[in-house]
Amino acid sequence: MDIREQIAENDRIIEQLNRELAKKSTEVRIIQQISSEINSTLDLARILQLILDSMDRVLGFQHCMILLKDESEEKLRVFASRGYDREGVGAEVRFGEGVIGVVARRKKMMRLGNIRSSMNYLMAVRAKMEEAGQLQADHVPVNLPGLANAQSQLAIPLLVKERFIGVLAVESPQPNAFDELDEILLNILANQVAIAIDNARMYQMEEGRRKELDEANAKLLRLNESLEHMVKERTAQLERAHAELSTAFERLGEQATELAAFNRTLEQRVAEQLAELERVGRLKRFFSPQLAQLIVAGGAEDPLKTHRREVTVVFLDLRGFTAFAETSEPEEIMGVLGEYHAEMGKLILAHEGTLERFTGDGMMIFFNDPVPVPNPAERAIRMAVEMRERVAELVAKWKKRGYDLRLGVGIAQGYATIGAIGFEGRWDYGAIGTVTNLAARLCGEAKPDQILISQRLLGTMEELVEAEPVGDLSLKGFLKPVSTFNVVRLKG
Amino acid sequence: MGVLPDEIKPAMEGVIPAHVATCSLDGTPNVTALSQVYYVDADHVALSFQFFNKTIKNVRENPYAVAWIISPESFDSWDLELEYDHSETSGPVFDAMDMRIEAIASMTGMTGIFKLKAADIYRVKSAVKNTDERIPLAAIDK
Amino acid sequence: MISEKLVEFIHGPVFMAIGTRNEKLRPTHTFVGGAIVNQDRETITCFVPQHRAEEIRGNLENNGRIAMAVGSLSHESYQFKGRYVSSRPTDARDVAIQEIHRTKLLALMLQYGYQEQIARPLVLGFRYQPAVAITFRVEEIFLQTPGPEAGKKIA
Repeated sequence: MDIREQIAENDRIIEQLNRELAKKSTEVRIIQQISSEINSTLDLARILQLILDSMDRVLGFQHCMILLKDESEEKLRVFASRGYDREGVGAEVRFGEGVIGVVARRKKMMRLGNIRSSMNYLMAVRAKMEEAGQLQADHVPVNLPGLANAQSQLAIPLLVKERFIGVLAVESPQPNAFDELDEILLNILANQVAIAIDNARMYQMEEGRRKELDEANAKLLRLNESLEHMVKERTAQLERAHAELSTAFERLGEQATELAAFNRTLEQRVAEQLAELERVGRLKRFFSPQLAQLIVAGGAEDPLKTHRREVTVVFLDLRGFTAFAETSEPEEIMGVLGEYHAEMGKLILAHEGTLERFTGDGMMIFFNDPVPVPNPAERAIRMAVEMRERVAELVAKWKKRGYDLRLGVGIAQGYATIGAIGFEGRWDYGAIGTVTNLAARLCGEAKPDQILISQRLLGTMEELVEAEPVGDLSLKGFLKPVSTFNVVRLKG
Repeated sequence: MGVLPDEIKPAMEGVIPAHVATCSLDGTPNVTALSQVYYVDADHVALSFQFFNKTIKNVRENPYAVAWIISPESFDSWDLELEYDHSETSGPVFDAMDMRIEAIASMTGMTGIFKLKAADIYRVKSAVKNTDERIPLAAIDK
Repeated sequence: MISEKLVEFIHGPVFMAIGTRNEKLRPTHTFVGGAIVNQDRETITCFVPQHRAEEIRGNLENNGRIAMAVGSLSHESYQFKGRYVSSRPTDARDVAIQEIHRTKLLALMLQYGYQEQIARPLVLGFRYQPAVAITFRVEEIFLQTPGPEAGKKIA
């Protein structure tokens, strides 16, 4: 070659190199552009589409797909594709099957440009082997996603720090469609793609986890709230219960105190009541139950307390009783006494007299104690008169039986000392004084059916009583003889 | 050194079958078609060896071989003078060839049956474009 | 030596190439643009293109050893090994044979689904003329179809 030719040759070479350099710069820019696009989003589906779109638009790879590795098994699934009639998304490729499968298994890039002729060759061999019976039935060609008549394929593993996540594959119906430059381009792209996909997937997982976490958090929060609520309620309940308990305790304390007090009171009361009952019991001997109660209830002064009062005293007994008693059977005596007492008792009650004592046929009654009455003498006299009339009826009956019994009464008025007479366990209500003596002596002097009173007494009763003088009687215990009268009848 | 130029690479993709001629030590030539002559680097090529054959036997006795390849783009054909160097059953060249065979085998239901036994590595002594053998593309009547 | 089936095969739409070697046992390769089996069924005459003719004839005259590979698109192929007999320039009949051969081959390629952009340049780009007609006697025939029986001697 001469100098001219040499120079021309050199020019040509330089031009070629320049073109190649320009081409490479463009390619680098393209790669950069694609990279920035795919790194601008974390949405996996979007990223995959962006990648494939760029690969077609910018790099001219019209048929391309991205497969991602299954979580656990050694297989891939088509996640995105471009340039195919049927999308084929979801189609599976097991490791070791076809170009993509072998790339996945070996984690190395592979470029084939002679798929058809290679397959023809192998099919011929296979036919021969089948003829010779050397081929088993289970040796069947695999079904692969992609072009049916692909002649060229270029597949590159997607690796993130040596961790295999999938395959980026391009195809062409032309033989030898891809060259080393395509390998280089795809290599650069694959790194970016792998990282972008991994990020998007992690983001997806993170999103998923975050969602789960958020949900868990929300649940926890709700749980917390309801727990707090329950705790609050419980605390309130407890506080209430506590308060109630405290109150109850206080109350209990109070009650205990009350109870103690009550107990003491009760004891007191019981004692009091017992005493009362005793008194009532005692008093009932002398007084009507009502009177007894009245006395006990405090309606009258404690009659058992020693006191002086002007009273009208009535003594009575039956003339001939002694002789009767000596000659009669006890049953007869009791019978007579029973009748006598019953009738006398009615009259005493009716006139509200106080029966101080009775001994057999004798009785002592007085008026104006324990309950004061406005007209004790009058009552006494009226009672005595009625007694005489009643006894007269009894006498009539007795006479038929052969008894000869007749009433005699003595009445006196004057001051007496009244109170409890006796000893512990045997207190009696009694009256002591001149008046009782006088009444008793007068009764002693009374002849049958006589009611003897003193002149003094008569003096106060003149309007009520019709009396006859009996004389001045000398009575035991009295210095001077007592002017005595017999009550004949009541006036009016 | 770099005997193989870049423009030869399309001829080494196995798109159109290649031929290789060898000679036994007793002087009997052998010529056979094969699917692909693999580009290893600018000074080496590899032939894949699945079934034992005359070619493999010959080069182990007499290392000189000649390969004919044609580019499916320019339809330039090349004669490569080769000298058998060694055989590999592992390594990057073997792996690359093995991967392709594995892929094609799986696509034809021959997985496990059609396997790369070894990659025979040859040194390229010369690569000559056959200008006389072929009519230029442009001149071929349509 | 050569069966009827093989005769038909050789005369069909097949690719063929021959290999020779020099005194240093260096092999040479060339495609041939067709061949015919002679009536004796012992010899084959193949058409070696001009660009390689000298070298090959030199080799043959040196040692006479020749191998011819004949293969169809279906990968059925045979290896004929033999000895050089003679050579002469191709005549019009040879050219006709070659052209028929080219036509058949191209047609079959297209039938097989090869793209026109590949089939046409491949077949029609082969400079088949001028050529030298080389005749050799077949001594051995081997099956060369890839598969379990590849390398089996069949004649």
